[in-house]
Amino acid sequence: MLEIRDLHVSYGKVEAVRGVSASAAPGRITLVLGANGAGKSTTLRTVAGLVPAVSGEVVLDGKVITGRPGHTIVRDGLVLVPEGRRVFAPLTVEENLLLGGYVAPRAKSAETLDRVYEMFPILAQRRRGAAGLLSGGEQQMLAFGRALMSSPRVMLMDEPSMGLAPAMVESVFGAVREIADAGIALLVVEQNAELGLEIADDVVVVARGEVVFSGEAEQARSDASVVRAFLGEAALSQ
Amino acid sequence: MSYWYDAHLILIQSTFVSLLLALSIQFPLRMGVFSFAGIGSYGIGAYAAAIMTIRYSWPAFAAIGAGMVVAMVAGYLLALLVSRLDGLYLGMATIAFTLILTVVAINGGSLTGGAQGLYGAISTLQTGQVILVCAVVVVLLALSERGRMGRRIDAVREDPELAVSVGIRVIRMRRMAFVVSGALGACAGGMNALLRTTVSPDDVGFSLVVLALTMIIVGGSRSWAGALIGSVIFTWLPQVLQAVGDWQTVVYGVIVALTAVYVPSGLLGVAQNGYRRMRRRSGPVAGATEKATGSEEPGGDSAPLEPLSEDVPTGGTR
Repeated sequence: MLEIRDLHVSYGKVEAVRGVSASAAPGRITLVLGANGAGKSTTLRTVAGLVPAVSGEVVLDGKVITGRPGHTIVRDGLVLVPEGRRVFAPLTVEENLLLGGYVAPRAKSAETLDRVYEMFPILAQRRRGAAGLLSGGEQQMLAFGRALMSSPRVMLMDEPSMGLAPAMVESVFGAVREIADAGIALLVVEQNAELGLEIADDVVVVARGEVVFSGEAEQARSDASVVRAFLGEAALSQ
Repeated sequence: MSYWYDAHLILIQSTFVSLLLALSIQFPLRMGVFSFAGIGSYGIGAYAAAIMTIRYSWPAFAAIGAGMVVAMVAGYLLALLVSRLDGLYLGMATIAFTLILTVVAINGGSLTGGAQGLYGAISTLQTGQVILVCAVVVVLLALSERGRMGRRIDAVREDPELAVSVGIRVIRMRRMAFVVSGALGACAGGMNALLRTTVSPDDVGFSLVVLALTMIIVGGSRSWAGALIGSVIFTWLPQVLQAVGDWQTVVYGVIVALTAVYVPSGLLGVAQNGYRRMRRRSGPVAGATEKATGSEEPGGDSAPLEPLSEDVPTGGTR
């Protein structure tokens, strides 16, 4: 269970996040929607410990993790899948996955590796190939697999569908749902509101660093004007 | 053999000293840390070993070890100082560190012998011992290129932020790079000072920065083997090029430029590609040495995969 309470983040004098609150529960997908520059990515990066918070709290399973260095947070069971399908390009697929399990005990790593290969068979086929030579969709799967290798309870995903071919987007979202169904709490930032809403359980809409809507996905889906008001017509028909 | 060995003893010694020096620049580079502090450490090691030998008659390895300790501490402090710098700026700052040390050596009075340097650092250090030390260092560094440690170093170089996200203590790794670089550089400097029995500020200037970088660029920056290739070539090349007389520096420059432009992965990269191609042509080798954990995938081969779709990543995707 992840709870973000009244988070404020600044880059120098620019306030990027102004009082964002959100939560993620096991087995559920919380979708964070918002336009470019709304502060979504910054929120995720702050939760993951890559950017310091000015004020507010991040609580993971009852424990306050705000202000902890980034490399310790993954040990507490929270992992970030950063924007732009980042993989260690010259390393092989398997090396990438093993790096994902860096904080896990070695014996457990081997077991988790098998599970990840089962979930993403394409990664098993490409295990000895360089990660940089995978297609965009495959790289996103690898990024998911790498995150799963740390056996997280909470996973943050920053724009998993960005820059992917439409057919690929669907299978990426399928994988996102599958990960949540395995009992992991997901906080997913997306620009693709239409597809995102199809798999989400809860929705938070952010504009200019503030939360402007927060509720169940059902509610947001049935009341498209909620989304339209903050994302514009284009976001719905995309 | 023995005649050849005796006739070329100085070049043989220089090759191994250069190897350690090149490794002192290469080790941080493997983590993406563009630091020339290893050259400054070479100076620290050379002066420390000479001073301890001349003034206190310390045994060779103690004198070299003293320099290594000083250089490791200096490296750690430097790492704290430049922790926010990266890339070219870090390179500049660490070159400045080296040049400042040269100035200190020139103005160090009787301790460093001023512009003349120090003479008469006579020790029992033998070439065989130098080679042995190099062998140990190479084995340790080769191990650091494999398995968990190898992956960790690669991750820090390729994407430091992503490395933090998977739980690697990147800041500590970078500090370690400075410390190890200091130890390697000082070891090279100390050995050289004791083998030559002298050290002067001229030995530790900007030209040494260029030499070490050249060895790594031409040899290959990713593995100790690249540093070895580079140190052999650039220690022996001047000897070979004596035939062309004044044109020596021109030929030297052309070689470096051509390598940088046409084989950015260095001669080691060329050798590895050639080896892979040869292996592929001779068909899959049964029981090929695989370093990763799992069993061989049926039909899986180690040939590089072709990009499958149009949204192929471009190097460092952001």
